[in-house]
Amino acid sequence: MKILVVDDFSTMRRIVKNLLRELGFTNLDEADDGQTAWPKLKAGDYDFLVTDWNMPGMTGIDLLKTVRANPQTANMPVLLVTAESKREQIIEAAQAGVNGYIIKPFTAATLKEKIDKIFARTSG
Amino acid sequence: MQNEQDRLELLEKAQRLIKSIESNDDLVTAELLSAISIDNEKRLFKEVGQLTRNLHDNLATFALDDQLTALTDKGIPDAKERLNYVIDMTDEAANKTLTAIEEVIPVTTEMEHKSEELYKNWNKFLSRELSLPEFKAMSAEITKYLESSCRNTKFVHEKANEIVMAQGFQDLTGQVIKKVIGLVQNVEDSLVELVKIAGAQEATMTPTKATGPKDKLEGPTVPGIVVEGAVNSQDEVDDLLSSLGF
Repeated sequence: MKILVVDDFSTMRRIVKNLLRELGFTNLDEADDGQTAWPKLKAGDYDFLVTDWNMPGMTGIDLLKTVRANPQTANMPVLLVTAESKREQIIEAAQAGVNGYIIKPFTAATLKEKIDKIFARTSG
Repeated sequence: MQNEQDRLELLEKAQRLIKSIESNDDLVTAELLSAISIDNEKRLFKEVGQLTRNLHDNLATFALDDQLTALTDKGIPDAKERLNYVIDMTDEAANKTLTAIEEVIPVTTEMEHKSEELYKNWNKFLSRELSLPEFKAMSAEITKYLESSCRNTKFVHEKANEIVMAQGFQDLTGQVIKKVIGLVQNVEDSLVELVKIAGAQEATMTPTKATGPKDKLEGPTVPGIVVEGAVNSQDEVDDLLSSLGF
């Protein structure tokens, strides 16, 4: 499973990557915002996208919309990990087709739970 | 100069002023000087008004909340709340990290001593210097050591993960600090404009930069700052999403 982790803060990318490694995912790549993430997603064979919302250049929600709009990536599971906690934003993300929404600060258990849920659903 | 129309009006008044001075018409000269002076005041007041409005908007944007819009003068106190939150978050992260390390060090020290002791005995055994009772004692020690080693390495692993998670403060405090920098920048821009006008540097004055709400995203929830419509926990996010059919 190839996973792309997108966050403008390198520390958060490292945290998420460490947690994913703990969960047994080893094929991990990263990008610092939607603009750098999108060419990678388009070119690479990624299976899963974990992205922050608030990033310079291209935000996570725009990246999600772009992913959904492109036939090549439309079915890719996307998990938002963000400090944005307004109801309207969560609804917007849901409407844009997000598969999971985690608010920061989060725990390792929350990440595991959401990822398990996403893959149980997408494989089921 | 505010705009082309203002410039033309001023030019027209200036031309009339020169004529009135040339024709020695004191009354008209006085009137025109007074009118120009009033124009300047008006422009200054307009600029001050606009800056006040911008500052007001910026503070309102910073709070980003209808409820708080009524309390826009809370912008600076909010910035203080946010910075206090940064102190709390960094304090918490530093303490979590130090606590984890303080818990790990005695465990690794004990393992280090134990393995040194076992290594010494093991070498004695290899060079056939160990008596049977000593060998039996060492075997028992090895069993105990292996048991504790499994437990301890798991413990160290857990603590290492706690240290990793504690670093999440950098992202969250970074976002909060960026917001405060934005507020300070907006205040600074407004003050610079004000100083330019007060210093009568109109020739070099640039139009007031629009400082409307650029960043509509809230960023991390800060204790003490109420954000209307924000959820308070992951459970609320999950409830909301399941109500949407997730």
